[in-house]
Amino acid sequence: MSGWRSIPFLSRLLAGACGLLLLAAPAVAAPPAKPKAPGTVAGLPADKALALGERMYRLGILPSGESMPSVVNGDVPVEGTAFSCSSCHLRGGLGSWEGGIVTLPTNGARLAIPRYWKFPNLSPEERRELKLQNPAARPAYTDETLAHLLRTGRDPSGYDMHSVMPRYHLSDPDMAILIHYLRNLSARHSPGVVGDTLRFATVIAPGVSEDDQQAMLVPLNNYVARHNQFSAGFGNRMYLGVGGNEMSGAYRKLALSVWRLTGPPETWEAQLDAFLAKEPAFALLGGLAPGDWKPIHAFCERAQLPCLFPITDLPVVSDSDWYTQYFSRGYYQEGQAAARYLHGLEDSAPARKPVQVVQDSPEGKALAQGFRDTWAELGQTAVPEIPLPEGKPLALATLEELLAREKPSTVLLWTGASAFPALAALTNGATGAFLSARLLGSQLTSLPEPVRTQVWITYPYREPNLEPKHSLYADTLLGGLTQRHPETRISTRTYALVQILRQALMDMDRHFYRDNLLDRIGMQRDQILPDYLRLSFGPGQRYASKGCFIMQVGPGPSPSLIRKSEWVIH
Amino acid sequence: MRRNQWATLLVTASLWLSGPGFLTAQAPPPYARTLETYTVPDVVLVNQDGTKVKLKALLDSGEPVILDFIFGTCTTICPVLSAGYANLQTKLGTGPSKVHLISVSIDPENDTPKVMRDYLKRYRAKPGWDFLTGRREDIDKVMNAFNAYIPNKMSHYPLTLIRDPKTGKWIRIFGMMSSSEFVAECRKAGVL
Repeated sequence: MSGWRSIPFLSRLLAGACGLLLLAAPAVAAPPAKPKAPGTVAGLPADKALALGERMYRLGILPSGESMPSVVNGDVPVEGTAFSCSSCHLRGGLGSWEGGIVTLPTNGARLAIPRYWKFPNLSPEERRELKLQNPAARPAYTDETLAHLLRTGRDPSGYDMHSVMPRYHLSDPDMAILIHYLRNLSARHSPGVVGDTLRFATVIAPGVSEDDQQAMLVPLNNYVARHNQFSAGFGNRMYLGVGGNEMSGAYRKLALSVWRLTGPPETWEAQLDAFLAKEPAFALLGGLAPGDWKPIHAFCERAQLPCLFPITDLPVVSDSDWYTQYFSRGYYQEGQAAARYLHGLEDSAPARKPVQVVQDSPEGKALAQGFRDTWAELGQTAVPEIPLPEGKPLALATLEELLAREKPSTVLLWTGASAFPALAALTNGATGAFLSARLLGSQLTSLPEPVRTQVWITYPYREPNLEPKHSLYADTLLGGLTQRHPETRISTRTYALVQILRQALMDMDRHFYRDNLLDRIGMQRDQILPDYLRLSFGPGQRYASKGCFIMQVGPGPSPSLIRKSEWVIH
Repeated sequence: MRRNQWATLLVTASLWLSGPGFLTAQAPPPYARTLETYTVPDVVLVNQDGTKVKLKALLDSGEPVILDFIFGTCTTICPVLSAGYANLQTKLGTGPSKVHLISVSIDPENDTPKVMRDYLKRYRAKPGWDFLTGRREDIDKVMNAFNAYIPNKMSHYPLTLIRDPKTGKWIRIFGMMSSSEFVAECRKAGVL
């Protein structure tokens, strides 16, 4: 074992600036390895140990079911269920950088090789080839030195990790299980990394118009072509980058396949399985489906395949699913905004009796579900819901009868512009109505003028008068494509996807693991891009735009929208 | 104060660089402690139960108050700060809390009351620890008022603010504290 050795000043300065606590102490000799039965870990089959280790790493729960005990900052006891290894090292194990504190990689591939101060991501073989011979900051971890680190915070070179890293009090069998998991965590590149190429795919479901397909495919293909053109001459930058920065080592050519689905949605998962088997992809980019995204979402969860920003307004709304990163909760989020807005009105008494009219369509049901869930979460009692068959317009008589019977202060009309004639029932002034801007589409400004002051619109995008300056660059880059069908926002959303992906590929560095791609997006700073007021991220956050405006339609034949709320988030 | 923070960083870095034996193996790096006067903005925030809270009334009530800035999906700093809060509550015992612990979200769009409730539950928070969120404009006002504004939540820093109930001044702790240091600072401020 190595003892403490002097470190070049610049390396120490770098480490200090990065927030790494360098403390010197004699290295502790590792205890001799204990013999173990082949194929078992702590007496358990390897796959069972892997599952238990994953639970320790992600949830901080011991194999016994109890919380993993640890200590931070010298004497602060912490329950593993409060925060776990993956809170800081993230799900892929490649670590994080936050608030001046570097959390080092703890994945199998990195633990198995020495760590260097310069170009730490190069393998020992690559270092030899490139004649980089600066000494290692620490040797590769053995199981024993790794256990010592987890218990004491001290690495095999004698450096103490920052005090925010928990020191875990684990028994030998529990430690063996956790180490078994770490050895297997992000140990090999994910499928879709083929030689010098990173393969992606995009899914197009049946029923998507040719125009809509082009609105997504043109920006995506442009990006791939441009990336490959620029990276063609990088040579050694595949390894080294510029100025000692190895970020450029992340450069790989990109390839994009288009997976075109056919037939009914219940057959899509099998088709996607076949596509993936034939052309392994690292992740799905964007994607278009005229209805519910659920079959593709379910496939991605099962295949553990990231799907980045599908162009859908009917996402799966889940607090725990991992693999699909959406722009927003779509229609569901508009329903949420209506509930929060009504709940938050200072003069809340009239808002206590809303009624939902729900078209039997995926959109109507998602809007109603968003309202229902949020209304209940806010402690309100359930509201009456009137179903409206799919495709059937809301009749004036139906709305009049509903208003007379329920006497609601607000009626949430989760139906399209076909309800406009029925809005005449609102002219008594006693009842307000909510409609969805997304569901009304381009007919939003045709809202009958007599009821405009009584109708509130859930509007999930930036205010229209402020949008041009945020979309100008995308418009220019895409040569007017964004203006062909602006109401679909397909090309602008694809543009936003490309911006986020570009950053994520740089941040991912050479660590081509699917979970790491999602981790890097989770660590991105807020983005101000076309369409949404703000896209924000965080580990595990899967809906980047979280708010919605409440608008009213102004007077006149070419009305503007009048903002009636802040960006509703609470 | 920005200059002070840079100075703190430099001092901290130089301590790290000063070689072996300066710090004990388990202790957090030294923190910076200053005494400040802040004007609390008159904003309405929302707590984990969805209840509206007037921040000025809450902080200027004369009761012992400790404040930090965190967010629900933070990777490194917030969990450790929150472990400090949880441990302090444990030390204070099960009786009525003498100290009001307040965490203000710096990710208001994601930190809904439900997210904040779940977060507090993970840390087994007891009554007396409130997690507040609100409109981004209001959160920005609060961060600015406490000289804690950061444009990007990923670049935030560990900050704990302890209000001296007698003078109304704030003890500003920049950095991480051990449990014993946290208790000692609370005692110095007269909140314990």
